[in-house]
Amino acid sequence: MASSGTKLWGGRFVGDTDPIMEKFNASITYDRRLWAADVRGSQAYAKALQTAGLVTGDEMKRLLGGLDTVYEEWSSGHFQIKAGDEDVHTANERRLKELIGEVAGKLHTGRSRNDQVVTDMRLWLRDAINTLKGNSLQLISTMVDRAAAEIDILFPGYTHMQRAQPIRWSHWILSHAVALRRDVEKLDETLRRVNVLPLGSGAIAGNPLAIDRELLRKELDFDTISINSMDATGQRDFVVEFLFWASMCLTHLSKMAEDLILYSTKEFSFIQLSDAYSTGSSLMPQKKNADSLELIRSKAGRVFGRCAGFLMILKGLPSTYNKDLQEDKEAMFDTYDTVDAVLQVATGVVSTLQVCTENMSLSLALSPISFIYVCQMPFREAHSCSGKVVFLAESKNIPLNQITLEHLQTVSPLFDADVSSVWDYGSSVEQYSAPGGTARSSINAQIENMRAWLKTHKQ
Amino acid sequence: MASSAEGTKLWGGRFVGDTDPIMEKFNASITYDRRLWAADVRGSQAYAKALQTAGLVTGDEMKRLLGGLDTVYEEWSSGHFQIKAGDEDVHTANERRLKELIGEVAGKLHTGRSRNDQVVTDMRLWLRDAINTLKGNSLQLISTMVDRAAAEIDILFPGYTHMQRAQPIRWSHWILSHAVALRRDVEKLDETLRRVNVLPLGSGAIAGNPLAIDRELLRKELDFDTISINSMDATGQRDFVVEFLFWASMCLTHLSKMAEDLILYSTKEFSFIQLSDAYSTGSSLMPQKKNADSLELIRSKAGRVFGRCAGFLMILKGLPSTYNKDLQEDKEAMFDTYDTVDAVLQVATGVVSTLQVNRIAMEAALSPDMLATDLAYYLVRKGMPFREAHSCSGKVVFLAEYTCSHTHIQKTCPNADAFSVCVHKIFAFSVEQYSAPGGTARSSINAQIENMRAWLKTHKQ
Repeated sequence: MASSGTKLWGGRFVGDTDPIMEKFNASITYDRRLWAADVRGSQAYAKALQTAGLVTGDEMKRLLGGLDTVYEEWSSGHFQIKAGDEDVHTANERRLKELIGEVAGKLHTGRSRNDQVVTDMRLWLRDAINTLKGNSLQLISTMVDRAAAEIDILFPGYTHMQRAQPIRWSHWILSHAVALRRDVEKLDETLRRVNVLPLGSGAIAGNPLAIDRELLRKELDFDTISINSMDATGQRDFVVEFLFWASMCLTHLSKMAEDLILYSTKEFSFIQLSDAYSTGSSLMPQKKNADSLELIRSKAGRVFGRCAGFLMILKGLPSTYNKDLQEDKEAMFDTYDTVDAVLQVATGVVSTLQVCTENMSLSLALSPISFIYVCQMPFREAHSCSGKVVFLAESKNIPLNQITLEHLQTVSPLFDADVSSVWDYGSSVEQYSAPGGTARSSINAQIENMRAWLKTHKQ
Repeated sequence: MASSAEGTKLWGGRFVGDTDPIMEKFNASITYDRRLWAADVRGSQAYAKALQTAGLVTGDEMKRLLGGLDTVYEEWSSGHFQIKAGDEDVHTANERRLKELIGEVAGKLHTGRSRNDQVVTDMRLWLRDAINTLKGNSLQLISTMVDRAAAEIDILFPGYTHMQRAQPIRWSHWILSHAVALRRDVEKLDETLRRVNVLPLGSGAIAGNPLAIDRELLRKELDFDTISINSMDATGQRDFVVEFLFWASMCLTHLSKMAEDLILYSTKEFSFIQLSDAYSTGSSLMPQKKNADSLELIRSKAGRVFGRCAGFLMILKGLPSTYNKDLQEDKEAMFDTYDTVDAVLQVATGVVSTLQVNRIAMEAALSPDMLATDLAYYLVRKGMPFREAHSCSGKVVFLAEYTCSHTHIQKTCPNADAFSVCVHKIFAFSVEQYSAPGGTARSSINAQIENMRAWLKTHKQ
């Protein structure tokens, strides 16, 4: 027979595997990252085997003890992967046999790598999600605190990247914080669907040996048990959801990064990044580049590529397990690592950047921000009037607030001396007191709202 | 000042030069955003009420606005609304028509409002209804599948992994495996709907509403669950659209997998099922052809819709805060996705409810090698560690494939007894082993059907 001794599946095979195929097929180089989950899943399964009478109490103890040793070896960096270990499941069972002998061969009774691997992945992803949730809350909290501290600062709000209306700087901060809040809420929803036990689904048809799936569920802390074994072993929805969640989260951060990069230019000069998050040029001595933000912006593409690639893999795949699904892990790991890093760097950037309040208010003074002077005139007409005033100011090359009353009255007789009250930015922002607006009261309400929400999500 | 064109745009004021006609066409969205006509009228009517409460229009002016908007609604509804040159979008068109009907007071409608918060209000109203329709379609499909699973619970056929014969399973088990994925889709749709059902009106262009507009009144009038927290986010984000596009991508990916299975099962080689003529087409050249075009198109739509999703997410990446014209690309993506999913769900329901199962071919495909696992379990029950039993059983398979003889079982595995020759009994016995929850035993399949039916009850619309 073939080198059937090392593979979990040798039996009917007589020919050797092509070494290039061996490498092409093996997943150990990356799925080793699931070592802890794999040991934990196997220990739970060993207990279920004992309850089902498929191993004795003594055999179970030996299995658990051997698996403890396997865990230690991985944990201390001493686990040795050998040729023939095509994946972490094979490696762990091979090592277990070396440690405790033939009884190791009883561990996989009724189990398939099809339900073993998704159990491992769900255990891993559950922990990963909790970490990312913590990172997200930290970032949001940092942003909210900043918004509270800097509530007095005003600067231009832009639409279509053109100066629109004066707003509070805190309003801008909170606009990004509320998007990240939605991300955390979606992460909670995804976690519910991750936290479903698939073990006991076998390869396709289920488990035939009276394994207690409820026991497995409790042992491994899952919320519910998968309903259908074919779906449980063949779907990777929980991975796709996570990859898309990450794509949306990083898209949010790419927008924030875009804003901050623009604000850090000489032309805007609204903010300055800390040196800790900037880099220079090997050629040009003056350069201070916001590389941290540029990389944050880039990662949306990287991660969405992972998502798109994996969804493409799933499209039109026949039911149940197919080896195509093995592409799930590198996508999941890379996405997790990327989001983990981005959230931490973003938190650092946001907490250390400096706001140039002078430049922000200077820019307010020089901008032809259009004020709508609403009185008895229908808005549509007032809009037109105001636009004409803007045109007048630009053709005279003077700021809007320096147009004389006489000139204003050539546009409409409704303009009066009290129009001067319009030119105060502080008054302008204070108008927007409806919920969601840029008035102080409204911003304070948003901060309260965010802080109350943060409290409910304390980990 | 500008030409007569100024009178038609909502934004002429400071502009003196005409728009390039090619730019005019490039920029206008009326050809597709007209689909939001009903939502736009409804949103404006609610806003008119809020203006009156805030003292910005009188009671009489409000009545005239509401009446005029009713007429606009009628015109659209009966197909008589006339779009005119200069109507760059449905908001412009509706206000222009309103002015023709009720005069200058129409110019008071947009006080404190921007198309930035108007358009997202319209889209959310539209999408809310669309989602409810798709939910109904999905529940219909799931229900059809569950009923079929209940009716055909006796039929056995090969279960495949890696597209190779794996273990015998119930046909109903296969049906339910796809139904449970669609169930997750419905649950996700409910979650998305919660985030769609947030009122953005009262966010203005960016900074909010400065005229003491009652947003709570607007919320109640328009049946939204909550009010948007931040006006910049409310006008500049399209998360609710992206979520919907991705929801659709996953749902259609699920259906593409089901389609793939059924296409294979409909081949001569498998001969497990036959589609109804209603969902098949022929060849203009080859007379024998019966192609499962319905399923092929269902499979294709996952790509189409994911393309919409990917395209739109790319549009959003790195976009500066708040409203940018790029966002206008949202509507065609949303409409096309909705239309596609709506059609796919309905066709899929038709295909599934009318296909015929070829039970004889299914059971004939149950080959003894599919019982190799059972052979291994046989040895396990006799005390042999599974790992060794697996190897033994594998050797038997190898031998059988070369010698086709059952007697070799005894020579190779001295501890094994001879099999019963009653193949169907063995397969029926085989599937009945899998009685743990989720498995293919009759009791387990019945439990899944119960579970699905209970769930369907809670989602009755």
